[in-house]
Amino acid sequence: MFKEKSTPLLFLAPAIVLLVIFKLFPIGVALWESFRFTPISQESIFVGLENYEFLFRDDPVFWNSLLVTLKYNLIINPLNVVVALALALLLNRSRPYVPFFRSLYFLPSAISYTVVAVVWGVMLDPYYGLVNSLLAKLGFSAQPFFSSPSQSLGSLVFVGLWRSVGYWMMFYLAGLQNIPKTVYEAADIDGASKWQQIWKITLPLLSRTTAFVLVSSISFNFLTFAPVFILTKGGPRGATNVLMYESYKSAFVNIDMGRATAISSILLVIIIAISFISLRLNKAEYEY
Amino acid sequence: MLYRRIAECVLVFILCIIALVYLVPFLWTAASALRPAGPMYSYANPLTLETFIPKNPTLQNFFHIFTKQRFGRAMFNSLFVGTSVVALGLLVNSMAGFAFAKFDFPLKNLFFALVLLTFMVPFESIVIPLYVVVQRMGISNTYSALILPAIANGMAIFLFRQFFADIPTELLEAARVDGASWARVFFQFLLPLSKPALVSVMIMLFLFNWNALFWPLVAVHSSDLEVVQVAVTTHVAQEETHWANLFSSAFAASLPPMLLFLFLQRYFVRGISGTGLK
Repeated sequence: MFKEKSTPLLFLAPAIVLLVIFKLFPIGVALWESFRFTPISQESIFVGLENYEFLFRDDPVFWNSLLVTLKYNLIINPLNVVVALALALLLNRSRPYVPFFRSLYFLPSAISYTVVAVVWGVMLDPYYGLVNSLLAKLGFSAQPFFSSPSQSLGSLVFVGLWRSVGYWMMFYLAGLQNIPKTVYEAADIDGASKWQQIWKITLPLLSRTTAFVLVSSISFNFLTFAPVFILTKGGPRGATNVLMYESYKSAFVNIDMGRATAISSILLVIIIAISFISLRLNKAEYEY
Repeated sequence: MLYRRIAECVLVFILCIIALVYLVPFLWTAASALRPAGPMYSYANPLTLETFIPKNPTLQNFFHIFTKQRFGRAMFNSLFVGTSVVALGLLVNSMAGFAFAKFDFPLKNLFFALVLLTFMVPFESIVIPLYVVVQRMGISNTYSALILPAIANGMAIFLFRQFFADIPTELLEAARVDGASWARVFFQFLLPLSKPALVSVMIMLFLFNWNALFWPLVAVHSSDLEVVQVAVTTHVAQEETHWANLFSSAFAASLPPMLLFLFLQRYFVRGISGTGLK
């Protein structure tokens, strides 16, 4: 370590200035604006907690949006963990075909959520979609997918999984490589079956990876916007109206910045709370 | 031994089934982009071999979106914004990483806490308040609105710090003793040793910008500044005849990130395992 005063500050200055203007300051603005009300073409006025009070007391659209966001997250995040872990376990071996499958499963994570949503929107079209013609070939009846209130959220979960599960799989593969082979050799000598080894050795030793994947996946999925904007516009009948989309509509369709920033602030608080939990969970539970 | 053979066959079979779920959308997108414009739905229903292999492949859809739909302009905008962010971001974030990795200075912990905080607040969550900031600064609807907020990145600073910390300090001390300025130490000694970190951060920043939808959608509205992802969405919800544009633009928008991934795969993985777990 070099002990200097001005040199490190000079190296640090550009990054700190930019972070303050474009990251820290907006957080302040979100809170500031959420305490204000802007009547059309007039100066905004301070209204205290009124925006929040209204949201929680008299705003069924907000409540529905909050519930949809929670429901979406309660479904997609555990699925992300389970499927990513399963794929990693299947692909954690050295065979010539393994790199191909790893790359293929990861590939959607490199493409934008926008393109993924656009393509799956056409694939899942209720009348002409490829998935329905495949279902017809297999003898099933056609499904409405995004056009039905009961299936749209599930379809959104599927598209979300398709796009990111390979990404989380990579973390599990990295975690699996870190487990020393000797642990399994010892278990083999003691006569533990492969299945027992997965449950008693692999999963406990991966608990840190799981905590990380779960928390990152939650903070990513709480902010889902692109697929909703492209595929459903929050519908049908509010079934996919997640908070991010609701706050976007509030800001740019209804021009109600107070309500929009209040929703943004609520999301921010949730995200920061999740990150703090993640910091605590990241302390390793098992040493090896 | 026989049992193991069977188990392996079952495994490969499962992997292939999952692979189909991934391959079908890719193949269909490629096939539809290469098909002459027209009612494309007829190829999806009923399912035939022609669904995936176009009979008369043509590049006319691509010519159309690049010449008539201004998609070329959108590609240029995204490329311009992405390169600017990468160039400035590599410089700014590596400098900050250097300060954190190799120096002791007053308020270091406070500054690092600031970086950690921004690390925890994802860009998407501040898009709407950021719009308020950018508007007050008078740079909304300009390239600056797309470039400036994306340069400093907590995750990139973190990644650089980790990487620089592993480079022996004695090496830099030796250079200092020989009379090199701090700028020379940084640019001529440290950075040339840090190619893996530079490539990982480059990929991260470029992909993040190339794939961004929400911020460009909010920050700029003039069609001259439209970026690739926004251009792709303009084809959604249009009439059936425009599916050719939709697929060809989706295909063109995905090509740069996929090529980046296929050629620089090991840096991708290093970036991932470096940011998350250690």
